[in-house]
Amino acid sequence: MAMRDLEALFSRRMIVAGATGGVVWAGLIARLFQLQVLETERYETLAKENHIKLELAPPQRGRIFDRFGKPLASHRQAGRVALVPEQIDDATKTIARIANLIEIPEPRLERVLAEVKRNRRGASSFVPVTLAQELSYEDYARMNVFAAEMPGVDVEMGATRSYPQGRDFAHVLGYVARASADDLDRLSDGMTGEESGRLRRLFKHPDMRTGRQGMERFAEEWLRGTPGFRKLVTNAAGRVIEDLQDDRLSPQPGKDLYVTIDADLQRAAIERFQSESGAAVVLDIESGDILAMVSTPAFDPNDFVNGISSANYKLLQDNVDAPLYPRAHGGVYPPGSTFKMVVATAALESGVIDPSERVYCNRYYHFGNRTWHCWKKGGHGSVNMHQAIKGSCDVYFYEIARRTGVEKIAEVSRKFGFGESWTLGMTGARGGLVPDNEWKMRVHGEKWYEGETLNFGIGQGQLGTTPLQLALMTARIAADGAPIRPKIIGIGPATDGEKNLQAPLNLEIMQRMKAGMFGVTSEAGGTAGRSGDLGLGGPRLAGKTGTAQVRRITQAERNSGIRKGEDIDRKLRDHALFVAYAPADDPKYAISVIVEHGEGGSRTAAPVARDILAYAMKTDSRRRPVYTELAQNTSTDGPVDGGSR
Amino acid sequence: MSDGFSNYNSGDRRMQAAQSLNFETIGFLGKIGRLPFGLILLIIAMALVGTAMLFSAAHTNPAEANLWLLHLIRFGLCFLVMMVLAFCPLNLWLRIAFPAYLVTLIMLVLVEFFGVTGGGAQRWLQVGPVALQPSEFAKLATTLALARYYQMMIGPTTGGFVIHLGALAIILAPAALIFMQPDFGTTLALIASGGVVIFLTGLYFRVIVMGVIGGFAAIVPIYNFVLADYQRERVDTFLAQLTGESTNALGESYQIEQAKIATGSGGWNGKGFLQGIQSQQDFVPEQHTDFILTVIAEEFGFIGTTAMLLAFAVILGWGLVISFQSKSWFGRLAAAGATATIAFYIVFNVGMVLGLLPVVGMPLPLISYGGTAMLTAMACFGLIISVHLHKDDRLRDQGWF
Repeated sequence: MAMRDLEALFSRRMIVAGATGGVVWAGLIARLFQLQVLETERYETLAKENHIKLELAPPQRGRIFDRFGKPLASHRQAGRVALVPEQIDDATKTIARIANLIEIPEPRLERVLAEVKRNRRGASSFVPVTLAQELSYEDYARMNVFAAEMPGVDVEMGATRSYPQGRDFAHVLGYVARASADDLDRLSDGMTGEESGRLRRLFKHPDMRTGRQGMERFAEEWLRGTPGFRKLVTNAAGRVIEDLQDDRLSPQPGKDLYVTIDADLQRAAIERFQSESGAAVVLDIESGDILAMVSTPAFDPNDFVNGISSANYKLLQDNVDAPLYPRAHGGVYPPGSTFKMVVATAALESGVIDPSERVYCNRYYHFGNRTWHCWKKGGHGSVNMHQAIKGSCDVYFYEIARRTGVEKIAEVSRKFGFGESWTLGMTGARGGLVPDNEWKMRVHGEKWYEGETLNFGIGQGQLGTTPLQLALMTARIAADGAPIRPKIIGIGPATDGEKNLQAPLNLEIMQRMKAGMFGVTSEAGGTAGRSGDLGLGGPRLAGKTGTAQVRRITQAERNSGIRKGEDIDRKLRDHALFVAYAPADDPKYAISVIVEHGEGGSRTAAPVARDILAYAMKTDSRRRPVYTELAQNTSTDGPVDGGSR
Repeated sequence: MSDGFSNYNSGDRRMQAAQSLNFETIGFLGKIGRLPFGLILLIIAMALVGTAMLFSAAHTNPAEANLWLLHLIRFGLCFLVMMVLAFCPLNLWLRIAFPAYLVTLIMLVLVEFFGVTGGGAQRWLQVGPVALQPSEFAKLATTLALARYYQMMIGPTTGGFVIHLGALAIILAPAALIFMQPDFGTTLALIASGGVVIFLTGLYFRVIVMGVIGGFAAIVPIYNFVLADYQRERVDTFLAQLTGESTNALGESYQIEQAKIATGSGGWNGKGFLQGIQSQQDFVPEQHTDFILTVIAEEFGFIGTTAMLLAFAVILGWGLVISFQSKSWFGRLAAAGATATIAFYIVFNVGMVLGLLPVVGMPLPLISYGGTAMLTAMACFGLIISVHLHKDDRLRDQGWF
């Protein structure tokens, strides 16, 4: 036994080993055959259903802050239920089951069902359709439990745009909404087909909103950010089983935006209006920063973020107080007597009157075969320019307007910024109208009548201005005619070509205007004497009252004296205006206020302006904004984020 | 022709005498002529397949886009090593067999104390800038030591049962150390390829049968008392997926399940080069290393994968033939052991990817990305080719060195 032939044995064993290897190899190939040939259909199906999904991850929209860093637009996490059409077995059953678990209005159920069914057939069958959002905690928890049994039902937390200041900034910021077909057409204008397709896919995401109005719309690209992707591992039911982190793919959040407005001042101003409707604009005279921009009443932009019901929208539309109307920069009013400084400037520039020249006012001014009236019963008597501004003598201004002529007044108006639309980073800004010969001929097809110049001279007639323009005018006067660059965006996209209000104005004339405005609030015979003191123990304001006619005054009314008070319908009452700057001796703030149907500038608008200015000065609204440091820390074209997050 | 004694003239006798005195029967140029070019070309072809597969697996991921190039460079370097080893005379191999085995054992012990943890086990030894995996070298060293041992022991008067106990010790010492790392896959591969060598030397069949029965009997106690928790979990999920039970999709079976889906979705022809969606989208974990087969299977289907397996079979068969033709026990067993080592790499890897074996962490030779495994495989081929070139060498068969 010991002498076995090991050589022969080795040969035999070698053959056995080789044969065993062959059998093992055959086994491996058989297994391969089983997987790749016999069962390939099953695995192909699994492969299609079960892969890493690159899901579009929407960028976080940039936030908006006020000048002191108070959030005006940010985000709120809210639970959401979405359906993925391609993964749902039976859409009707699934939706019925969800409706059993949480409260969803019936019209919405029907709409979603229709959309799911429609999308199932199309190329967008993987795009989730939102069924319910803003879930309460209980609903969110309940849905989470049951969603596991319902394929194609996604329950997740989504970021929703939120406006913590509510109505205060409705007209400045506007609001965001799901992108409509119109929005998409507008946003993709000028894009290549591929870019446009990408944009459209992005906006299908339930978290995506686009600025529909106001600054949200103007600064859309600044705020939007760049979408990224989430790498999701899903199981056969389409349920995400793993979220793979991949920093290279994460979305870039939108850039934060800072406005020049002081949210506290804005709030105080809105409160001061109480139930009145109107507008106010406060400017920092030195920097041109808009510190408050009030239009009241307003709507709550939070209502629009998830889509406002058509019934609620109709309520807003039909409201007599027009809460959707952006009065401050989009409301066009005749400026009334607040325009008189412009007319006086035009007269002095053209040299048709000497400031000391007196005009006699007996309340009536005859021109052609018509008679114009001064507002003051019995007239002002003999007035020079200073007295005419102080007492707002209409007769004086009829006279100098007639002497100056429409063209010169229109020219000086434009130097003050009238007739021009100041977008400044919002939507809805209007330019109003500065009438002249050319306009009259172009629009009405007839020549300008000199009688119209008289109305122009007291800020009535065709002339249309916005409260923003009036504030700019006041700021230019208060700054002795120095250039002003108004702005509402502290850090954000460039606006309006950064245009300046810099047409030259004569220093001496401006000082004369300021003296007149000081007289209005602080001298005997001033129309707003009661509102001159800011109540801060010294500083006074200088201003000018105005009344914007809502309709023509009839002779019968003038005769009967019934023109004011409760005797006429509120809708028909005149608007009260007041423009002012403060402190009178060292102007820092300029303001314009309009109280709709407030009747008298001195009675209703001036106290509002005074109180807003007092608040601004007390709290020092124009102090250094927080974003100046941010601006220094980042390059001029770099995004302003990161550090502040 | 002759009985070796008669009909020789004096010249023939002198030639014989001269030849019998000269170990190097052929010169360097002669060796080059004798190189198994077919085998070498196949090896190169497999490495190129691996390069292409790495390119495909990583080309969507910028961070890994140059893996294929690294693989190619590594192969180039390892190829040089293989050729140098191939030209080493068998006597040199014989001489270094025991020292190499000893050094490997020492390194394995060092790993226990100074090793770098990788993938949950202490496997790496950091030597300067190079991270070494001693368990990989152990495969070659153990094979060499076994061959050396039998070269020393097998003679006309030996062959009894007792000499195999020494061989068993040679296998079990590194196996135990590797098992402690813990690296169950390498341990099994080491024991298996060592077992093949013992089998070839003619261990009694009844002992083999008893050994196999004993091995099966040991499975339950090993499972219960020896395996770590994560290893037990792997076995559990493996058994579960084998029997079609539902498994935790996020756990261990995830990898196997994804590998099966990628493989199965390949079908007859596959999806085409660079078209393997499943394996490219980071869907199959470890698809550059242990699961590279899924890329081949998904992109080239049953036909391509089978072709690859057959190419490996040809390489291994070549190794067996070389082993068969060698005149010395050392040459035979070294070539056979090296062939078995590579064979078990392949079987474990393919079996694991196809869901026939538990996940043991075993690369596919020449194709998977990974330096040490590549070096081991190429060293094995170097040894096999060396045996081929020196099949007629006479070897000293006594002494330790």
